[in-house]
Amino acid sequence: MGTVAGAQQILAGLKDAGIDLVSSVPDINMLQLINLLYEDKQITHVPVGREEEGVGVCAGAHLGGKKPALLMQNGGLLNSCNGLTTTALQFGMPILLLIYYAGDIGDNAFHMVGLVTEPVLQGLGIKYIVMRDPAKVKQDIAGAVTLANSSKRPVALLLTRAVL
Amino acid sequence: MKRFECLKAIAPLIKNELFVTTAGGATAEWNGVHPSDGNIQVKTLGLCSSIGLGMALALPRRKVFVFDGDGALWMNLGSLATIGLHQPKNLIHICWDNQQYESSGGEPTVATAGNIDFAGVARNAGIKSSRTATTVEELQQAVSHALTQDGPHFIWARIEAGRAEAPPLQYDELENKYHFIRYVEETEGINILRVPMPASYLLK
Repeated sequence: MGTVAGAQQILAGLKDAGIDLVSSVPDINMLQLINLLYEDKQITHVPVGREEEGVGVCAGAHLGGKKPALLMQNGGLLNSCNGLTTTALQFGMPILLLIYYAGDIGDNAFHMVGLVTEPVLQGLGIKYIVMRDPAKVKQDIAGAVTLANSSKRPVALLLTRAVL
Repeated sequence: MKRFECLKAIAPLIKNELFVTTAGGATAEWNGVHPSDGNIQVKTLGLCSSIGLGMALALPRRKVFVFDGDGALWMNLGSLATIGLHQPKNLIHICWDNQQYESSGGEPTVATAGNIDFAGVARNAGIKSSRTATTVEELQQAVSHALTQDGPHFIWARIEAGRAEAPPLQYDELENKYHFIRYVEETEGINILRVPMPASYLLK
């Protein structure tokens, strides 16, 4: 489920980095964060049914002047690979990817998706940070957004339970 | 009706609306009929409706057109439900249904058998202003209505197959993106490309 304190810290980090639109597909470990997004007045929250839709929503939002992020599980990263490749990367779109790292060390359900997550990001040429230190949450988010904006590419943050 | 006739008929109705056009024949034809920096091409089949939704939510006072196709909409039919959920008043979604994957060589799509009613799907997904156009006049009326009334709007344009002679696109996707963003910046009076560093992120 994550903790309220962890979710609040991530939300504050997103706002500090200028993120003002988040498209999302849920994961149980991000429940608190998604609950905060539903209530938040500053960030436009755009739930979608499938993660690749979220890539499109973020791309369109960027073209319209928003600073977008896509919140999803790593299974959703796999669902969104063509959109990331032929829209986000091919057009050069800065999109922050907030990905719950299912199948990480200590997980007992989704080991296969955990196994392929980092190789898929590497194959796509998407830089990423595995977030394991709650003290570095704000810095990691700000750094990822700065790189996304300067490189005009998606940058990913892999969220582990330690920071949620 | 032919798509090219339809595009020529709606071009005079357009002022500075934005256009997100599918990975298909509608893109080259529309840019031939209405060349504008307010047109953005799409390279991911099916994603135009989602890109249009994001754009419409980002610019709620600007009308945003999506030009979709029957094959592309089939690939992202769930986007109709998402549009129905978020109710963007400024979105005008037109599906140019020629009942085939024309750009891929004419293979059948979900529309070929004649079982699917795209306008009905859109309406039942919550897009209340959903119309079907089978003549150029009906299409013109539907677009005029969508330009003056709150949406979201969906228009199922039932067209004949066939592409018109249209010049190749002037820009590749990157140049298209920069022209489009600069156009939005100028016409909206906003800054998109110059981004300040996050307040907490100081290089040492």
